[in-house]
Amino acid sequence: VTPGLRKFALTIHLTLSLGWIGAVVAYLVLGVSAVTGRDIATLRVAWRAMELIGWFAIVPLALASLLTGLIMALGTQWGLFRHYWVLFSLVLTVLANVVLLLHMPEVSRLAGLAQEADAVELAGLGGDLLHPGLGLVVLLVITVLNTYKPQGVTPYGWRKRQTERRMGRVLG
Amino acid sequence: MANPTEEPGPELSPSTPRWVKVFGIIIVIGVLLFVGLLLFGGGHGPRRHTSYPATSARTIYL
Repeated sequence: VTPGLRKFALTIHLTLSLGWIGAVVAYLVLGVSAVTGRDIATLRVAWRAMELIGWFAIVPLALASLLTGLIMALGTQWGLFRHYWVLFSLVLTVLANVVLLLHMPEVSRLAGLAQEADAVELAGLGGDLLHPGLGLVVLLVITVLNTYKPQGVTPYGWRKRQTERRMGRVLG
Repeated sequence: MANPTEEPGPELSPSTPRWVKVFGIIIVIGVLLFVGLLLFGGGHGPRRHTSYPATSARTIYL
């Protein structure tokens, strides 16, 4: 992979990942208004907007972020299983995607319910704060890991490094 | 006495950093909690996590 192509792929990956965080923040704001809103129209619009942002911003950005992260890891010297910070980023991103995809149908169901619910039912519907809140924490942890890249090579990464050194000595 | 012309032996595998152990434990606990909630939580969804109970005293205006 040429340095130019690597920079381009990194730009795409960063844009998608930070866009994912931004979309989750927007979802949280709507979730808060669904919890605190005091008129039917606001609550209905909040739930519908949460559903739309979920399916058409958060889900595509999450999947694309996972895909470009895989490409970045496999296309650079970092590898996917060589460094603990890459491995943890992968595990957390996969977990976040799984929880998101399992959770979104429920959001759609409640958004549909909110459109027909009366004032009492809407008051009991509440909002959706725990999932996006925890999701945001996970995404910030991944961002910190990717920025600081803490030391730590996995046993697999260590064996690969030893093999590459031996090969270097033989060839050099 | 070591022979300086001798090939160096294989390096010892580095020990696992402390942050990796802490992260690993947190992730395992998180996954177990998630699976436990899915299996034994008796229903799961946004409504379970809101600060307002189903019989909220919040007044909604038309």
